Amino acid sequence: MNRPFIWKLGIVSLAAVAAFGCAPVGTETSTGKPEPAGAGTSAPAADAKLAGNLEVQAFKGGFGIDFYETALAEFGEKHPELKTKIEGDPRVWERLKPRMVAGDTPDLMFPGWGMDHWSLIADNQLMPLDAALDSPADGAEGTWRDQFLPDMLQIGQVDGKTYLLPLYVNLNGWWYDKAVFDKNGWKPPTNFSELKTLCAAVKAKGMAPITYQGKYPYYMIHGMLLPWAYSVGGADAMKAVQNLEPGAWKSDSMLQAAKMIVELRDLGYFQKGATAMSHTESQAEFVIGRAAMIPCGTWLYSEMKDNLTDKNQLTFFLPPPVEGGKGDPSALIVSIEPWMVPAKAKNPEAALAFYKYMTSPAIAAQFVSEKNTLTAIKGSESGIKLDVLRQPAALFAASKDAWAWQVRDWYKPLHTEIENALTSMLNGELTPEQFVERCEKAAEATRNDPNIAKRTL
Amino acid sequence: MQRRPGWFIAGFLAPALLLYVGLVLFPLQQAVQISFFQWRGTSSVVKPAGTANYQQVIRDPVFYEALGNNAWMAIVVGLVVFAVAMLAAHALKKRDRPAKILDALVLVPMAVSSVVAALLWQFMFHPQMGPVPELQKLLGLGEFQSGWLATPAAALPAVGVALAWLSIGFYVVLFGAGMQQIPGEVMESADMDGIPGWAKFWRITWPLLWTVRRTAVIYWFISVMNTFAIVYLMTKGGPDHRTEVMLTYLYITAVENSQYGYGSALAVVNLVLVLAISGLLMWLMRRDPTEARA
Repeated sequence: MNRPFIWKLGIVSLAAVAAFGCAPVGTETSTGKPEPAGAGTSAPAADAKLAGNLEVQAFKGGFGIDFYETALAEFGEKHPELKTKIEGDPRVWERLKPRMVAGDTPDLMFPGWGMDHWSLIADNQLMPLDAALDSPADGAEGTWRDQFLPDMLQIGQVDGKTYLLPLYVNLNGWWYDKAVFDKNGWKPPTNFSELKTLCAAVKAKGMAPITYQGKYPYYMIHGMLLPWAYSVGGADAMKAVQNLEPGAWKSDSMLQAAKMIVELRDLGYFQKGATAMSHTESQAEFVIGRAAMIPCGTWLYSEMKDNLTDKNQLTFFLPPPVEGGKGDPSALIVSIEPWMVPAKAKNPEAALAFYKYMTSPAIAAQFVSEKNTLTAIKGSESGIKLDVLRQPAALFAASKDAWAWQVRDWYKPLHTEIENALTSMLNGELTPEQFVERCEKAAEATRNDPNIAKRTL
Repeated sequence: MQRRPGWFIAGFLAPALLLYVGLVLFPLQQAVQISFFQWRGTSSVVKPAGTANYQQVIRDPVFYEALGNNAWMAIVVGLVVFAVAMLAAHALKKRDRPAKILDALVLVPMAVSSVVAALLWQFMFHPQMGPVPELQKLLGLGEFQSGWLATPAAALPAVGVALAWLSIGFYVVLFGAGMQQIPGEVMESADMDGIPGWAKFWRITWPLLWTVRRTAVIYWFISVMNTFAIVYLMTKGGPDHRTEVMLTYLYITAVENSQYGYGSALAVVNLVLVLAISGLLMWLMRRDPTEARA
C-alpha cells in the first residue's frame, strides 16, 4: 500500500539531490554579475541603409497590432534590404520572458502589462536609448527626443538613462454620462464637497452615485486614493511615498485620502457589490446607467465601445480634488505601456529607426485618429477625431503636473499588498489609520530588502 | 520458456521514461533548484539565497492562510461533494427515466472547463443581477455591501460552491461505478430478508464501497491542492487573501510579482505537503475495516 508513496518520495529526493549538485538556473548562467548591456545605439538617419532582419514583438491588446503591422510594412518598403517580421499576442510577455532568459531576443518589443520591465532594467536586459534619442528626428525638425513630451519620457528613465519609450498615454480620471447628467440637471463636481452634494442628489434618484472595479483595486488606487493624497499633500508628498521615505504613508495626505474613501462608503455612495466587480462588470453598470460615475482611465471608451448606444455621452473628468489642498488641481496621473530594445537585440539600429518612424509626428497623429487614444508625441493630438477624446486632451494639455505612479511597476509585491489593504479597508476590516499603517509597513519591508532594486524620482 | 531480453522491454519503456524525465522530473528539478535562488525571471541572472526562501515560507502568514483555505476546501467542500455524489449515485442506480435525466444533469458540469465554471459562477454571484444575491434578497436575508465574492466571510463559501458544482459529477460516476460492482445477489438476499433501504445503504453499499471511497478521498485531496483557475478567475485570491489557495499564491508571487525563487519554494513546499498528506491518507486507509482480521 505504501509503495507508490515511497516511490514518489524517491523521485522528489532524487530531484532535490540533483538540484544541489547542478549549476544554477537557465541555460546561460551567471551568479549575480549582470551582463553588460549595449552601450547604446544611435538610430541612423532616416535615409540610412538598413539591412539584415528586424523582428518586432508586440502586445495585442485593445488597440490590436494592425497599426504596427502597416507601419512596419511601410518602413520595410523604404528599406528593401531589410527583412521585417512582426508578431503579436494578447499574452506576448509569456513568449518573451523565456526568450529574454535565453538571450534570444527580438530587436524591438512592446511586451505589454504582464512584463516586469523594471526587472529587465535591473537585470541589464534593456538598451539605454539616449544616443538614439539625441539623433535627428524622422519627419520633423530637431532631435528625436524633442518629439516626445518630456514628462512621458521621464517615466522610463533610470539614473538619467532612458530605457523605456512611450507611445500611447493613458490618463487616469473619472467618467460620467453627460446625457444622464443633463437630464437630471447634474453637473460634474469640481471638488470633494461638490462630489458629496452630487452623490446625495444621485442617491435620492435611486441611482448608485459611484461604482468601481473592486476586483482590481488598481482602479481605486489610481482614481481615488492617489489623486486625493496628491490633492491634500501636493507633489512632494507623493514623491516621498514613491521614494519609500519613512513615514510617507502615515503622512496626513495618505490618511486623509483613505478617510475620504471610507466617508463615501459610509454615506452609501458606492454601488452595492462594487468591491466584487471586475472592470467589465462595473463599467457595464456605469454604461447602462445604474451608476452615475466611475473612476477609470481614458481607455474606457475603447473598452466599452460595443456596449454603448447612441444615447451614451461618456465624458471624462478629473477626480474632484479637496478644497484648499496643497496639490495643483490640474494634476493628473498618467500611465504608459512602453516599447523597448533588448540589450541583446541583433539589429538595434533598424529597431530604433523603425520606432523613430512610428513616433514621427505624422504617424503618431494617424495613430491617434485610428486608435482614439492620446500619445506621448507632441502635436499628435491633431489626429483626434472623436469628441470623447477632446476633453482628456484638453485636461492633459492644461495639466501642470502629469505624473506617474511608478510604485506599481517598480515594486510589484508592495503594490499587491497596497491593493489587498485597500480591499480590506473597503470591507471595514481596517480603519484608514490601520490601512496607512499596513502600507507603511509594506513600504518599510521593501525599503529594507537588499534584493529589491530601489528607484527614486 | 523464452527469456525476455532486457533491451526489448527497455525499448518499450524508453519513450514513456523519456517523457517522464523531460516533462516531470526535469521541471521538478528546476523548481527545486530555483527555490534556492533569488530570480526575477527576466534574465539568466540569479543570486544564491541558501534556505532564505524556505525560511520566508515558514514566517509568511499568507502561506498559512492559503493552506488553511485549501484545507477548508478539502474538508468542508469535500464532505458536501461526497455526500451529494453518494446520494446522487444511489438515486441513479435505478436506471429509470427520471434517473437518466438526473444522470445527464449531474454529468453536465464534468464537461465544463474550470474557466467556464468560474465565469458562470461569477455571474451567479454578480451583485447586481446574479441569481444568488437575488434569491438572498427575496428571502429577506439582505445583501452584502461588497457582494458575495468580496465579502470576507462569504467569498470562500461562494468559491466552494462553484468548486463543488464542478467536481460532483466525477464522484457520482466514480461512486456509481463502485455501486455497480456490488454483486446483485447481495442486494437480492437483503431484499428477501426485508432489510429497509436505509439500512441496506449503511450495512451493504457503504462498506462495500471502501476501495472506491479511498481512491476518491485521495484524488479529491490532490485535486483540491491543485485548484487554481476557478479561484484565480472568480476572486484572484481576494478579498485580501480570503480565498487564496496555494497555487494562486505561488502564481501571483512568481509570475505577477517576479519572485520566482520564493514562488518555487512555495511550489516545492506544496508538492512535499501533497505527497506527505496523500501518503498519510493512504496509510490511514491502508486496510479495509470490514475485512476479517486474522
